[in-house]
Amino acid sequence: MSTRVPIRLSVNGRAHELEVEPRLLLVHLLRDQLGLTGTHVGCDTSNCGACTVHLDGEAVKSCTVLAVQADAAEVTTIEGLTGGDGLHPLQAAFWEDHALQCGYCTPGMIMAAADLLARNPDPSEEEIRHGLEGNLCRCTGYHNIVRAVRDAAAELRAREAGARTTEVV
Amino acid sequence: MSVVEQAPERGEEAQGLIGARVRRREDGRMVTGAARYVADVELPRCCEAAFVRSTVAHARIAAVDVEAARAAPGVLAVLTAAELAAVRPLADLLEIESIKTPRPPLATDRVRYVGEPIVAVIAEDRYAAEDAAELVVVDYEELEPVLDVDVAIARGPLLHDHVPENVYFRSEFRSGGAEEAFAGADLVVARTLRVNRQLASSMETRGVVAQAEPDGLLTVWLSSQAPFQQRYLFALALGLPESRIRVVVPDVGGAFGPKDFVFPEDLCVAHAALTLGRPVRWIEDRQENLMAGSHSKEQKLTVELAFADDGRLLAMRGRFVGDTGAFAYSAPAGLVDVMFTAQSLPGPYVVPAYDYDVLGVLTNKTPVAPYRGVGITAAQTARELLLDEAAERLGIDRVELRRRNLLGDEPTRSITGQEYDGGSYRTSLERALERIDWGGFPARQAAARAEGRHLGIGVSPFIEGTSLGTMAQLQSGFPMPSHDHAWAAVDLTGTVAVGVPTCNHGQGHATAFAQVAAEVLGVGVDDVRVVERDTESSPWGMGTYASRSAVFGGGAVLKAARLLRERILRVASLLLEAPPEALALEDGFVGIAGVPDARIPLAGIAGAAHFDPGVRAALGDAGLRVGVFHDAPPAYSNGCIAVEVEVDVELGTVRLLRTVAVEDCGTMLNPTIVEGQVRGGLVQGIGAALLEHAVYDDDGQPLTTTYMDYLVPRSSDVSAIEVDHVVTPSPRTLGGMKGMAEGSSIATPAAVLNAVADALSPYGFRVERLPLGPHAVWEGLRSGRAG
Repeated sequence: MSTRVPIRLSVNGRAHELEVEPRLLLVHLLRDQLGLTGTHVGCDTSNCGACTVHLDGEAVKSCTVLAVQADAAEVTTIEGLTGGDGLHPLQAAFWEDHALQCGYCTPGMIMAAADLLARNPDPSEEEIRHGLEGNLCRCTGYHNIVRAVRDAAAELRAREAGARTTEVV
Repeated sequence: MSVVEQAPERGEEAQGLIGARVRRREDGRMVTGAARYVADVELPRCCEAAFVRSTVAHARIAAVDVEAARAAPGVLAVLTAAELAAVRPLADLLEIESIKTPRPPLATDRVRYVGEPIVAVIAEDRYAAEDAAELVVVDYEELEPVLDVDVAIARGPLLHDHVPENVYFRSEFRSGGAEEAFAGADLVVARTLRVNRQLASSMETRGVVAQAEPDGLLTVWLSSQAPFQQRYLFALALGLPESRIRVVVPDVGGAFGPKDFVFPEDLCVAHAALTLGRPVRWIEDRQENLMAGSHSKEQKLTVELAFADDGRLLAMRGRFVGDTGAFAYSAPAGLVDVMFTAQSLPGPYVVPAYDYDVLGVLTNKTPVAPYRGVGITAAQTARELLLDEAAERLGIDRVELRRRNLLGDEPTRSITGQEYDGGSYRTSLERALERIDWGGFPARQAAARAEGRHLGIGVSPFIEGTSLGTMAQLQSGFPMPSHDHAWAAVDLTGTVAVGVPTCNHGQGHATAFAQVAAEVLGVGVDDVRVVERDTESSPWGMGTYASRSAVFGGGAVLKAARLLRERILRVASLLLEAPPEALALEDGFVGIAGVPDARIPLAGIAGAAHFDPGVRAALGDAGLRVGVFHDAPPAYSNGCIAVEVEVDVELGTVRLLRTVAVEDCGTMLNPTIVEGQVRGGLVQGIGAALLEHAVYDDDGQPLTTTYMDYLVPRSSDVSAIEVDHVVTPSPRTLGGMKGMAEGSSIATPAAVLNAVADALSPYGFRVERLPLGPHAVWEGLRSGRAG
């Protein structure tokens, strides 16, 4: 297992050059080598979604992505969601709507929800429930998560509309 | 959507923080990825453990060859039972008549379930540890496995030679009069159910990190619900004094019951840390968790109810046989589940006579641990299914049948000796019916049937024992002493800290208990720090389980804060030269009522109490830090769940159309948190009714070892949940809190199952199997049609 493979990737906007074992999982690279422990491991079989991050802008389960597959990619984790300025509307809505209890699924849930809203800015309750069915939460019963995603979607749409208005003016 | 019907009970406190919807203070770190769970604990030179586990259900171990593993790259130690000979086996400490089955941290000469740890490999990292674990060769001489409680009792073989019939515990109760009541009854209904084996399955698995300091202190970071109980168990097993062990609980990613005991893996990791002189960690993976973490709830029960033809319940009879798995080693193991079932079968109803028998039985399966709604869910499910059946056979409306037998709202004593503190048993039922529009359901059902669709509705009123202290524990049938403390202090900058005896793992204690202290002490919630989850800094307490935290944590904080308030006023009275009763404590100041300029900030009071010899002398030794002991009498929350479902008779699937929960947990500390708990428990109840089942094959191989096979509810499996409150403060507990969090998980399965049975009543459908997955629905339809 001594063969190591060089990879270059960007994580939360920062470039990294690393040598990794070919079998190293992306989630372990993020957690153990880069110290980004906001991404959690919940199941190892890509069922629970606690490890969800964005790979080139799309949500992936980082427990089933090899680090070498992230070569040349841009990775965003929960720590990089806002780019450092305050809370993302999803983070704010999860907090405001009590959409978390133990918090373990929360980062993955928020990253999956961000991906959902990027594809569908105004999802119905049904669409949110289906969109997030790859992310398990054992505490909340999902009710407040669905509410938070709707609230965040509204906030994001309002911001978007505001931005457009500003452009027009 | 949700309505607080009555303001919570107020004492001398007036700020209204108790019962306010304060946003949780812990969430900032959790939504940004800054929370720290046990897997995030980082220590220099930390190594990792992996376990070699039994691949067979029952065998003698002929030989274990670890030589290749010892020589593997990166391996630091390979531990077998021989290396752990000095570690004492884990055993329950209950003073009950049972045959103990202590379990060694690693299997010695025999394995009794798939997943039982045999060898621990400690290596530089988990990858190296797992590589080496694969090199271990275990030579098994297989024995016949026992997977069914009836077979276990009737013919074995025995799991433990000293446990005849594999029965380690028996209990019986005869109230008197039950036999006569059954003999004279107009109707007897009976059902035998095998409750599905389930897992608490918190999103964070088990995990432990241990570090031995050169000065002899062993620090254990543990994903936990009860650090003080665990420190004691570590001390007993490792032969260390408690003063040499510190248990620290980082953020905990859920627990729901099983994380209040020490596991074999924890002992191996602690032992390795002590002997290697390096920190060691083990984070359970999900396969280990589902296979060998801990299971819950499986039992075979037979319940009979006797009625008069006017619908009066005359008597109950029950036989409860718990499937404990291979060891009954933890205090809250199998017998807790069946004892709770037996004791709670009467629920919120008047029961004049009752007989029960309880057995705890060993099988070749993963040992059980408590999981939300421990035992009570089984009792509730059996009872409520039978109430619906009895109503139909008596020709009485099923709600009316419940009304005729419900307890009055005043405090009473159950036939099993449980001291109910009163509630809203009737009001909660009526509220739930109103909320789900029970009256309008027949029309909805008829309209759907006209379209070939099958709608059903079910209702399930519950009572939930929540104040699990010394007395409630005694009344539950397995005595276990209880002990909790709190402290409260003001610092030199005028802010407050409270130490609490509980162990938050998602319940928002940093917010809820701060609300209590802030209200009593006249400060803001953000001026209160809640200290918890560290045996070095927090006060001794039993921890957080059995919905006890509001009563024991909240009650203890209330008591400590009131005492601290008295002291603050005493100091202020000296400084302001006014009697304490003329003083007001608010907004961080003590002032004299009606004299605007005469006020002192809390910082000034604290400074005087710390440094002014005159004040110090007047105050005595303790200064502005007080500690209190708190035990509480039994308290019982209550409520009602109602659900409306649609069943697809072709696919056997169940869709939830409306879900209503009415909760009465007495004084609420924070209704938002209460509602979160209600909804979370409710969805776990849906999982119990429709999805979750830990399955073994005939050889004792677990078949549900990933989330592809063990199905916990997903967002798309459930729907919106309406929550309503009735508030009946307990007349017995401090502050009127009753505690909550399990009621919805207790009552939901019955509501769902009765709703499905109602939907399928044209087919003569009867709930015989749990969970009611598509296959069970389909089979039930087939046998119903045939019948």
